[in-house]
Amino acid sequence: MNLSFFDQFMSPSLLGIPLILISTLFPTLLFPSPNNQWISNRLSTLQLWFLHMTTKQLLTPLNKKGHKWALIFTSLMTFLLTINLLGLLPYTFTPTTQLSMNMALAFPLWLATLLTGLRNQPSASLGHLLPEGTPTPLIPALILIETTSLLIRPLALGVRLTANLTAGHLLIQLISTATTALLPLMPAVSMLTTSILLLLTLLEVAVAMIQAYVFVLLLTLYLQENI
Amino acid sequence: MLSRLVLRAAPAALRALPPPPVAVGVLHATRQLHTTQQSLAPLPPLPEKGGEVRHGLIPEEFFQFLYPKTGVTGPYMLGTGLVLYLLSKEIYVVNHETVAAACILTVIIYAVKRFGPDVAAFADKLNEEKLAKALAVKNEAIESLQAAIEEEKKEQWRVEGRSYLFDAKRNNVAMLLEASYRERLMMVYNEVKKRLDYQVAMQALKRQKEQDHMIQWVEKNVVQSITPQQQKESIAKCILDLKALSKGAHATV
Repeated sequence: MNLSFFDQFMSPSLLGIPLILISTLFPTLLFPSPNNQWISNRLSTLQLWFLHMTTKQLLTPLNKKGHKWALIFTSLMTFLLTINLLGLLPYTFTPTTQLSMNMALAFPLWLATLLTGLRNQPSASLGHLLPEGTPTPLIPALILIETTSLLIRPLALGVRLTANLTAGHLLIQLISTATTALLPLMPAVSMLTTSILLLLTLLEVAVAMIQAYVFVLLLTLYLQENI
Repeated sequence: MLSRLVLRAAPAALRALPPPPVAVGVLHATRQLHTTQQSLAPLPPLPEKGGEVRHGLIPEEFFQFLYPKTGVTGPYMLGTGLVLYLLSKEIYVVNHETVAAACILTVIIYAVKRFGPDVAAFADKLNEEKLAKALAVKNEAIESLQAAIEEEKKEQWRVEGRSYLFDAKRNNVAMLLEASYRERLMMVYNEVKKRLDYQVAMQALKRQKEQDHMIQWVEKNVVQSITPQQQKESIAKCILDLKALSKGAHATV
């Protein structure tokens, strides 16, 4: 198969049947449902422990009304984490490299937080547009700036995730192409490049986990302001 | 679909936070109902360990399956032949993804080998802590019950000694009664004596007064009865007596 650098970002299809749904839902196959036993096997125990820890971490700063969002936040976190990590395997398609999917996740959730804030506490929500302690002459400019910053949030959320993952995957592709091309010519330089690739892979693993966490964390922050 | 994980896990996690009754109600409302019949027979015990794997990927049963026909090296020959076939016929093309695959596999295998036992120990520790908590509750209950039994036995022993206590108390009370009786007796005696002494003193006083009065009256009458004639005669007699005495004294000296 002659792969160009962008084949990995093409939505997968087999004989014209789009496989995007299967690839997006694949992570669910990897998590066993926690069963009703009191003490279960290691995988279930670790999974439960991880979910408890994540939920506690994400929801501690929120007040009681924000706890309604527990389900969506924790499942979003698990979803993004698994998809990002699975994308590091060779020949896999990573759904979160698609801007369409990330915007579809970021925009409605951000809008939900904004509308919750505007509906329940409108003056407090609008009050966030002006930070405390600004000198009086700066107020008009600052309100415009804060509004822009508010409206650009969904774009930032979606594009941050997309850009980080796409850039990472592309870099891996490029450096491994360099390694493959240099191998018959200058094996020593090829080994150096392999070591760079190893470090980059480690970085990508970290980035995959961090980006998922950051996405959900920022949403909890936006929710904190507005609920 | 990942929500089913959180749905099952979330109630316990959210119980650790300050309790939000609204959120718990929402979660319970979306739980799935039973769709199959529950089996009432005792379930078979679950296996303690998972299936055996060789090289982390291939189940041991595969090797056992091929052993009768191809011996120990059978599966390895099969694997090698398969890989060489794929490579030589270019069914699998070596390209840049191969290098990337090698890297990620190195990272994964290193992570599993290095952190695997620690993670397994951590999971076991979580389960152990759960068990230990329950056992601790049971042991505490047993200990508290045993302490209660000891206390009860002590109380029963105390009850046996009750009779001595009552005897001592009875003696005490009797002594107190006796003491107060005697005290009152003494008081009565003293009071009666006081009254009798009074009467005796009255009588003595009366007699004394009568005596005094009589003496005074006698003396008065005697003094009155002494006439002046008698007085002179008595004085002259006294002088004669004195002279006589003085003579007698002069004589002796």
